[in-house]
Amino acid sequence: MATHQNGGSGGVLLFSENPETVGELLTLGRELASRLHRPLIVAAVGRNAQALLDEGLARGADEVLAVRDSQGDGIVPDESIATALCEAIRASAPAVVLVGATRTGAELAARTAQMLQIPCASSCVALEMDDAGNLSVDRRVYGGRFVSRQLLNIAPRMVTVPPKRFPRAEKVSELHGSIQELQVELPAPRIKTMSVNPRSHSQVDISKAEVIISAGRGVKKMEDLQLLEKLAKLLGGVLAGSRPLTGDVDWLPVDRRIGLSGQTVKPNLYIACGISGQIEHIVGMKGARTVVAINNDAKAPIHGEADYSVIGDLYEVVPALIQACEKAMGKVG
Amino acid sequence: MTAAGIASVPSILVCVKFVPDPAQLQAEPLTGRPDLKRSPFRISTFDENAIEAALQLAAEHGGRAVAMSLCAQLPPKDVVLKALAMGVAAVYLVKDEERLARDPLRVATVLAATARTIAARESLAQWDLVICGEASADEYNQQVGPRLAAALNLPAITYATGLTLLNGVLRAERAIEDRSETLEVNVPALVTVGTEINTARMPTVLQIMGAGRKPMVELTLAELTGLDIDQLKAFPAVEVLDVFSPPSARKQVTIKGESADEIAAELLRRLGTDGEVTL
Repeated sequence: MATHQNGGSGGVLLFSENPETVGELLTLGRELASRLHRPLIVAAVGRNAQALLDEGLARGADEVLAVRDSQGDGIVPDESIATALCEAIRASAPAVVLVGATRTGAELAARTAQMLQIPCASSCVALEMDDAGNLSVDRRVYGGRFVSRQLLNIAPRMVTVPPKRFPRAEKVSELHGSIQELQVELPAPRIKTMSVNPRSHSQVDISKAEVIISAGRGVKKMEDLQLLEKLAKLLGGVLAGSRPLTGDVDWLPVDRRIGLSGQTVKPNLYIACGISGQIEHIVGMKGARTVVAINNDAKAPIHGEADYSVIGDLYEVVPALIQACEKAMGKVG
Repeated sequence: MTAAGIASVPSILVCVKFVPDPAQLQAEPLTGRPDLKRSPFRISTFDENAIEAALQLAAEHGGRAVAMSLCAQLPPKDVVLKALAMGVAAVYLVKDEERLARDPLRVATVLAATARTIAARESLAQWDLVICGEASADEYNQQVGPRLAAALNLPAITYATGLTLLNGVLRAERAIEDRSETLEVNVPALVTVGTEINTARMPTVLQIMGAGRKPMVELTLAELTGLDIDQLKAFPAVEVLDVFSPPSARKQVTIKGESADEIAAELLRRLGTDGEVTL
């Protein structure tokens, strides 16, 4: 590979296994690449390589690095993506590496960074670049209650960014990006995939909802979600949940999960019912305009993230709220 | 190592981080920085699930689960005892008083050397299984597990929600955003787990009292086999500029009332005034 003079692009290399996230990283990546006056490069690796390549070119990448397994069908298996990314980083010598902080992305970034013996800043919610190209990033720590501001001052500066943090880049009217192919030799895979099951999907896209009623561990039984669903209907909103309800138990489909491992939402009104407010959750709902927290634990971190706190039992407060809404709408009483 | 040999007695290493309890951590009033000195410690949440997963596999196969932890200062004894009381056979504590291992690159490098050092002390050729929490409750980097796998050249299965071990083959259920997967790998391997995999046991008072008899071994970085401390110091690092409590843009108004009805009415009135609810 001799695509870049002086041994490196000095640009921005980005990767996600998810095409939509690539589109979002392109927005951030373009900003950084423009500051550096260097190219914006998408690494297209893995099963989705073609879709990632298409997304990259369509939304303004200067270059797509199409990484292919030198053996077999050329598709880099999941387990070897980190090795392939190492090669992509070596080949393009970028100043900045952006990876989408999905679960897969978090693992890949960490593994890749260790193989290259470089640091990586995870799940950055704000990034700032100075004139020397150094990156200052903000991350949430200690259950989301504190911000850690960190500096990456040696290239490649690797960061992961949560999905939905940035808007997807616009499609460009004229494709200008080039495609560079990179063949890599990969070790034999050790992990066998026995089966893959898509997780259940709901019909609702909570990331676009104006009003969200969100359920947490304080909800004791699956049937009790009907109560929150009723409140959601009255307020013209949708029902969502924190990780315990969408993972530890499957009371809600996983695409209704709000948080680091789920969706990032920006509704006008967010009512957190029985949610303690761990970092995992807070990251996903920080963008809400108005936040109401209903939780009987006065010390729950969610109260610190709320405009209006009700320190009380959701099993008393939510029915009262439903009644108050119905009353206000003139349906009862 | 033969598959049959592994199946009889698996050796399991759990990575544990002792952290200031985020739920009880307060900001220093003057600086807005976390008041780490006054916060009680706990076993990092997901690491409790990692311990539980290790204990369940060890119980089923008659193996031993040992824990290792890297710490700048020794954690309070009661939290270490809790890990022992849950059932791990020994806890190895690596003291890093100079805080050389202050970011995940260095942490994973030190833990890899620790894993090798403890294996030698326990007369093991290698660990069959290394189990880590998927992220720590304080820093939440989600990096150390996969990094440790890379440092030990182990295959990694992250975000596992179920584990079974049979004849040296680890079968894992894994859950990511849009799908679940069933994966198989020959041990040795590393897995990371979260709260989905199990409910961690709470040791009884008697178990905690009895745990004092189990080994709690302290090690220094200098005692770790194959750790190049000069190289560690030379690694590029993320520099922490500041840790602060962000000024809240929230109103933080507590709605009070004599009854749930009163509270509900007041909340609705406030939301109406803000223009969030029009009924």
